[in-house]
Amino acid sequence: MTTCDLVLVGVGGQGVLTIGDLLLRAAFAADLPASFCPTKGMAQRGGFVKAELRLGAEGVGPRIGEGGADVVIAMERSEALRAIGYLRPGGMFLLYDHVWEPTGVQLGVDTYPTLDEVTAEIEAEGAVCMVISPADLPEMDGTRISPNVFLLGAALGGTQLRDLLDASSVEEVVASRWPKASKINRHAFRAGLDAPRKRGDGENHVLG
Amino acid sequence: MTRLILTGNQAVALGAVQARVKVVAGYPGTPSTGCIAHLLTMNLPERTVEWSTNEKVAFEVASGAAWAGQRALATMKMSGVNVAYDALISIAYSGTNGGLVIYVADDPGVSAGMPEQDSRGFALMSDLPMLEPASVADAYRLTQAAFELSEAASTPVFLRLTTAVALGHAIVDLDPTVPPPPARDVVLEKNITRYTKAGSKICKDQHAALIERLDTAGEWISEAGLNRLELSDAPGGLGIVSVGAVNAYLNEGLDAARSAGHQVGEVSILRAVATTPFPIEEVKDLLTRCDTVLVLEELEPHMERAVTVAAHHWGFDGPIVGKLDGTLSRIGEYGVAEVRKALAACSTQLVNRGEAGDASASMTVPAAKAGESVTILPRAHLATPRSDSGDLLPGCPPSAATLTGEPSKTVLSSTDLAAPRPITVCAGCPHRGSYLAIEAAIKQAGFAKDEVMVTGDIGCTILGMNPPFNLLWTEVSMGSSIGLAQGYVHAGIATPVIATIGDSTFFHGGIPGLLNAIQHGTPLTLVIMDNGWTSMTGMQVNPGTDAEFQPEGGRRIDLVKVVEGLGPDRIEVVDPYDVPSMTDVLAGCLTSDGVKVVVAQQECAIQARRRGVAVGTVAVDPDKCILCKRCLKVTGCPALSVLPNAPTELGETVEDLTVSLGSGSNVPTEQAPREQEPEGSGTPRGSIAIDPLLCNGCGICVETCPTNALVRVGSGTKGDAK
Repeated sequence: MTTCDLVLVGVGGQGVLTIGDLLLRAAFAADLPASFCPTKGMAQRGGFVKAELRLGAEGVGPRIGEGGADVVIAMERSEALRAIGYLRPGGMFLLYDHVWEPTGVQLGVDTYPTLDEVTAEIEAEGAVCMVISPADLPEMDGTRISPNVFLLGAALGGTQLRDLLDASSVEEVVASRWPKASKINRHAFRAGLDAPRKRGDGENHVLG
Repeated sequence: MTRLILTGNQAVALGAVQARVKVVAGYPGTPSTGCIAHLLTMNLPERTVEWSTNEKVAFEVASGAAWAGQRALATMKMSGVNVAYDALISIAYSGTNGGLVIYVADDPGVSAGMPEQDSRGFALMSDLPMLEPASVADAYRLTQAAFELSEAASTPVFLRLTTAVALGHAIVDLDPTVPPPPARDVVLEKNITRYTKAGSKICKDQHAALIERLDTAGEWISEAGLNRLELSDAPGGLGIVSVGAVNAYLNEGLDAARSAGHQVGEVSILRAVATTPFPIEEVKDLLTRCDTVLVLEELEPHMERAVTVAAHHWGFDGPIVGKLDGTLSRIGEYGVAEVRKALAACSTQLVNRGEAGDASASMTVPAAKAGESVTILPRAHLATPRSDSGDLLPGCPPSAATLTGEPSKTVLSSTDLAAPRPITVCAGCPHRGSYLAIEAAIKQAGFAKDEVMVTGDIGCTILGMNPPFNLLWTEVSMGSSIGLAQGYVHAGIATPVIATIGDSTFFHGGIPGLLNAIQHGTPLTLVIMDNGWTSMTGMQVNPGTDAEFQPEGGRRIDLVKVVEGLGPDRIEVVDPYDVPSMTDVLAGCLTSDGVKVVVAQQECAIQARRRGVAVGTVAVDPDKCILCKRCLKVTGCPALSVLPNAPTELGETVEDLTVSLGSGSNVPTEQAPREQEPEGSGTPRGSIAIDPLLCNGCGICVETCPTNALVRVGSGTKGDAK
């Protein structure tokens, strides 16, 4: 495996685009061809946000078509549904099961999907689904770690991204991105990196 | 009928009057000026005829009236289309209710100056039908047809004259009566999927609908027989496609060519005056009948290119004479000389092919390339198109069904399960206060929300069209809110009209619209939501941003002073965080005459936070909160949420949360609100929670709480933010 097409989705403000930005920097440092295409028109206002990241392929367009993504990382349960169509059969879906209910749901006007409904949709596509609950995130010295950095680690630990990028060099990119927070971010990244192995997902689900 | 001497401009004016136009707005520009100039000499009660600030404002005024159901005309020279186009392309995507005609006068040969541009390119670019009268009499007739077509296909229609037709005088028979505008009810349709541009799905659906309207227009034009096709008795020979003004020189040119000894034989002629959409059927008939085609059009070879594509598609292998083969020029005005010159070139082609004067049989003739020969067959074999795409011509509009594409079933079903995520304004956004004040003022002034047009504009301020506000009706282009609002006034709306716009958008394109309203005394209330930044795109500096952020050597421009300088009847500066006061001011504006401008000033909450402006926060008293969720329903503030252990049923019915907007997925929510929770059911109540990281203490939610469970805390005062 020499390429990886990755789709990131979530809600504006979660740091979804930052995951893509960090991977892009890591690819740059590793001299790996990369294309990063964020869609963020309304991101600051709590809207759906999506980014496409293509690693390892030269001369390709920025868009990943339906059924073309090797990996999807979704940071919000309901928005994950909008990304399923991008996944290729047998691809890896990394779902951070954060629940961010729109106002219409809080008012009882709109419905919100259950986790089982979302994973059933993902598995119906023949994809491998790895779910990380916000409760799984460790703290460091009583401080909450960044979910997006944790997820970045999990993606390196549990998806084919690890065939393209060296986890330790990605960690250096994370640490140098925010020097003042490098300690907690290293912690978050490493915790994420270990998460698939601890869950056993690493052995069972990751397709080379 | 009366016989009169008219110019083309007057013919357009009288044609529009005969079509019972209600609103005419334009900006002077030779050769189009004579149209409105003539209307201003007439006694036209119950109609509005105005010179607007510029062509874009004129088009917006006309469009507002047309959206309100009346017939409206906007007039301009070709350069004016460049100015109007920002609004024009957006209105094209929405279509129209009443007939909406854009009269543009092109100037091939440049008798009046400015670039020799061909406005037909705008019709192609915007997928709007275009009619091109060949004569003054044609202009009178086709102006009326343009209004009929506009309403039949629900689309704006271009009417293009060129200098010779617009300024030329001719004797025309016409109906001398001046019929009044029809008594039509004002159309007030609140439908953001049609009248705004917010979201990928809305815009893609509008694009498909636009193309479908052009199809409908093509059918109407065909049925009305606007383009006249005369086929020669015998197959073969020369076919001529003649466009617009050139039609007037065709017969004369043919005579001149024949007199000069050019062998053109029997000719078939398509006299095209409706050029967009491309007259596919007529051109196909011409290509099927003829061996050689001549396209006669001034300026750019738009028609010729389309004919060439059609020829390829239908397997036509004869020569196409025009500009692309170098025979004719793309520069200057055409007359008999050009027609004759083109026919001479055709004659050479026909003689080479042995066709002139004898086109009846299949024959072999010497071909252009040495050593080859071609067999010329009667054109009947062209009945089958070259490609297998049915009747679909490349470059011609296919039906809407083939355009939208079939999304994969998976994407559709999974996405349908996702909760709608309408985009709303940020926690602490001052616009929230403006929306609530506008809605409250409408009620306070004695009107219903659905009878007061509130036009929206580009930027964050448009988010008031979404739940929970559902306040804004339209979104067209930068500054269009103000021109559109005037159109609704001129259409005869009985209720007050409100326009809304942000500070940056006002500086960008709103000032000309406000000038227009003030100059003409068109009553409206303009709310400028001045948050000091160009926020939607990521907080860029605009002319009104605080001086400390302005470029070195530059300066801040005081928006209020700009408005004062324009001289509206009333200017009010209010704080949108103080909803009750802003409501009172607005209600006063809605019940008074003239042009009122309300500037709601409060800095963008995100930027204020970044600058460290301390405003405070709001706390919840859980003992007092009865979880009626009124704060959430009224404000939709992202800082508010229901604590996870609390029930999610509604305390009371919410009617307005029926339209959902998410990026790329705008799905109207059909489901009814959930059953009301029985009172006293003993369910643990829970409470509203406020995210302290998001809340900036604007306090708008505090006003909504019936039990005083929300309390403003913190030391900052609201006024600090500006």
